[in-house]
Amino acid sequence: MIPSIAVLRVENTRWRSPQLWIPLFLLWIPVLLISPLIFLVLLGLSLANGISPWRVFRIFWDIVSGLPGTHVHVRADGNTVQVRVL
Amino acid sequence: MNENRRQILEMLAAGKITTDEAERLLAAIEPGTVTVSELKGSVGGGDAKATTVKTCCKYLRVLVEADESMTGMKGPTTVNVRVPMQLLRAGVRLASLIPQQAHGHLDEALNRHGVPLTLSQIKPENLEELIDHLEDLTVDVNGKEGNAATKVRVFCE
Repeated sequence: MIPSIAVLRVENTRWRSPQLWIPLFLLWIPVLLISPLIFLVLLGLSLANGISPWRVFRIFWDIVSGLPGTHVHVRADGNTVQVRVL
Repeated sequence: MNENRRQILEMLAAGKITTDEAERLLAAIEPGTVTVSELKGSVGGGDAKATTVKTCCKYLRVLVEADESMTGMKGPTTVNVRVPMQLLRAGVRLASLIPQQAHGHLDEALNRHGVPLTLSQIKPENLEELIDHLEDLTVDVNGKEGNAATKVRVFCE
């Protein structure tokens, strides 16, 4: 499952941002447009280092598809950062 | 009576599983584990060996709470991280993409920072096994008497 939305909230002692719903699915459009370039760069790098390019693509795809469900909430020194990937 | 336990006892009564298999299934049936229908496939006929049933954890959770006296910062410090196990596995496989030529430099850098690790000796299958065993990992650290508000918890859910 690819990540579709990231929810971001930042606050400190003086101000607090609203929950920002970032539509990650819209990023796929420019990624698709420059995908041939990305493909060539990754292909070149993987062949130069003697690694199977399909393994490289598969691992990066696994990382991207593993992102949904990630929650990070950190509060320190009066500041709070909250990130959720849905 | 718990529904899963009832199903196991019914299978035993019907002769579909042996006493040993029923005992292993009953031991494996605890809150949060897989259902009996998922276990049936692993039990099978009389010669089938009952395998150890583990919950398939989906996330690794890290919870840290520390008060001001511990961190020296203003206000309590809280860290709450939930990472999908799939992401962990993919990240671990990412390490296998590091070229062999870079292993030496990385080992040296890690040793300099107090991490005695030799990347070339780590195999992907070992890392997969490590991730699988993370499901059994639970770390629960509470601060000493003077720091009762300090807690660290690492577990899978």
